[in-house]
Amino acid sequence: MTSAPALLELDSVSRRLGGRAVLHAVSFALERGDVLGLLGANGAGKSTTLAVIAGLLRPDSGHVRLDGQAIEDDAQACRNRIGWVPESVPLWPELTVTEALNACGRLRGMPRATRQAACARELARLQLEDVAGRLCGQLSLGQKRRVGLAQALLHEPDLLVLDEPGNGLDPLQTAELRGLIKQLSPRRGIILSSHGLTEVEAMCSRVVILHQGRVQHDAKLDPRPGKLAVQFRAIAQAPVEAAA
Amino acid sequence: MSALAVARLDLRRLAVRPFAWTLGGIALAMMAWQFLLGVSAFMHAQPTLPGAASGAGFTAAVVAPYFLNYIQLCLVIAPLVTMQALAGERGAQRLALLRAAGVSGRAIVCGKFIARLAFLWLLLIIVATLPLVLAHATHPDWGQFGAALIATALCVAALTAIGIACSAFAAQPALAATAALLIGEGLSLIDAGVRMTGGDTGWLGYLALHTHLAPALRGLVRSEDLVYFLLIIALALVLAVRRIAGERGRG
Repeated sequence: MTSAPALLELDSVSRRLGGRAVLHAVSFALERGDVLGLLGANGAGKSTTLAVIAGLLRPDSGHVRLDGQAIEDDAQACRNRIGWVPESVPLWPELTVTEALNACGRLRGMPRATRQAACARELARLQLEDVAGRLCGQLSLGQKRRVGLAQALLHEPDLLVLDEPGNGLDPLQTAELRGLIKQLSPRRGIILSSHGLTEVEAMCSRVVILHQGRVQHDAKLDPRPGKLAVQFRAIAQAPVEAAA
Repeated sequence: MSALAVARLDLRRLAVRPFAWTLGGIALAMMAWQFLLGVSAFMHAQPTLPGAASGAGFTAAVVAPYFLNYIQLCLVIAPLVTMQALAGERGAQRLALLRAAGVSGRAIVCGKFIARLAFLWLLLIIVATLPLVLAHATHPDWGQFGAALIATALCVAALTAIGIACSAFAAQPALAATAALLIGEGLSLIDAGVRMTGGDTGWLGYLALHTHLAPALRGLVRSEDLVYFLLIIALALVLAVRRIAGERGRG
């Protein structure tokens, strides 16, 4: 009897950027309902990994699979199942929040009625109704992040990819983000990158630690306080060969 | 479908930005001034023009140079309108947002091209309206008018496509505008020296915009001229699509 494929599976993914190997045979998997925290120091390869998952970068070798299907085989269908929120939320500053969300739905080919219903649903879910008529360029960072999350959720993706979602948020906004991710996680897989250990401890069920483009730790989150910090420090300070 | 969605989004963004309105306003004011000067010069010269009695001289003396002025203006405007299309969007990560939404490189390039071209063609329609307003009194040569309009529209499309291609290749919008301006001016002036000395322009002549505009402005639509403009448009867009589509590999 064969087990069902994981929602997301990275199989020996390697990638070079600017002549430098950024990812070395990165492999891990993510199940539906999991919130996976991708930890690592600056330059560890977190954003590159997420860009490969979101289909923005092609791996030099290895495969990214969604429910067992390689993304390269049907990139369009796979992208329709992924929602991506980059670190700096790239909104159109001259459009209102409603216009921006509508445009995102249109770009994804959603029919008018579905699009409008999805926009209303996400505005309500992310508590953006008050700013629906405001220009994206006039929003606070926390509001921009919520709009970014709304555009990624419009098509109800199976996999949500969040690059540094907590960056620049105040404590109240961080708490709201945690609540939101908990609310979103049961029906989909979520992968997020972060520098913040407390953020990962509060939101994630699994942790992958990258160091110089290699996976050095991939396990369920140890709930003991401070344990993750010890693991992370040991990996981040170890030479790559020894840690591997 | 995605290309139209991109075009619609970009048109909406152009419509709410002061940049497009300012640029359009300045361009139309300059064209209106050129037109008034043309009409004024024509009225002073009318008694001496051989075709003036039939009224056909108005198109040759005023309308054709007027359309040529719009093309010369577009040598500057098109790079300004297109410079942000891909270079600026890439810098702000909005290109990545489009690609993450499943929009192909071809749809992105075509959508951006359609939006910018729609803006410049809208200006052309307004520009063409001025001579039409006087049509009752001037009895234009409609064949020549139509030929000049078609050639102008195609030339503007070619300049827009060049701008889009430069925007796809350049890292900065300013670099894209400079490159598009240089290429446009290059095509405009490539055979100027030979033309001034009256020699045979050869293949340089075939590359020059003037070679393919002059017959149309005289009222002659030649298939080789249409092919020339369509080739420039196709070549520029294909290069832009290849560049954008290759970004997944390059990073």
